[in-house]
Amino acid sequence: MVDALREAHRVLAEGGILIDARPDSRVDARVQRGSGPRFVTVGALGTRRDTETDDRLSDRAIAAAKHLRLFRGRGGRRWWHRLPFARFADLRSYLDGHLRLVSRIRWSAAGRPAPRDGPFAIERPLRYEVLDRL
Amino acid sequence: MSSRTEVGRLLAGFGSGMRPLAERELGTYGPASLLRGKRVLDVGCGDGRLALGAARLAASVVGVDPDADAIAGARAKARAMRARNVRFRVGAAQDLPLPSGAFDVVIFSWVL
Repeated sequence: MVDALREAHRVLAEGGILIDARPDSRVDARVQRGSGPRFVTVGALGTRRDTETDDRLSDRAIAAAKHLRLFRGRGGRRWWHRLPFARFADLRSYLDGHLRLVSRIRWSAAGRPAPRDGPFAIERPLRYEVLDRL
Repeated sequence: MSSRTEVGRLLAGFGSGMRPLAERELGTYGPASLLRGKRVLDVGCGDGRLALGAARLAASVVGVDPDADAIAGARAKARAMRARNVRFRVGAAQDLPLPSGAFDVVIFSWVL
């Protein structure tokens, strides 16, 4: 990963910026159910353990690139990506083949009654950081 | 944002493995000036989702991905959109087939 960051540094002109954007496994995804005009959070989804390990390696690569003075962080933030599903079965199908999210939903108390009424949504945490080339 | 009407609208716009819409993702990174008139490189561009979105603002965009099939798909999309300021190349992030100092912005979206 640091190799890729070195390449990014090489192809950037002086004053250029790198944008690193990816899922944020430090927080759980939210499972939401349509309730009238709004969606209400009814459960949570964690990240697969092997993926969490990969994400930590990515974090270390960025930290190494800063330590090597290839880049300096300008800042960034977390944002949420909403994936809507017309029916619970569609959400289930999405999770069954997912490489990052665990398939088991941790239902909140509010989510337990009739959890299969639709529509549903998953809000995934993503994050980005803007880095200045040094 | 939390309405039932959003469901159908967003489903119609998804591609690239249900990633965010390019406009939404790029808009999150900062103001349009971040890309406007810039030379942009999208590393791990896949089917060109983000590269083609960036092309609406940037002076030029290059997308690089190791998957030749994805690059073929991205080129077909670019032709269909008549996007003349975008090029796609097969290549790896660790060994970019591009000259030094050629870009103002490099994007790693879901790459590291």
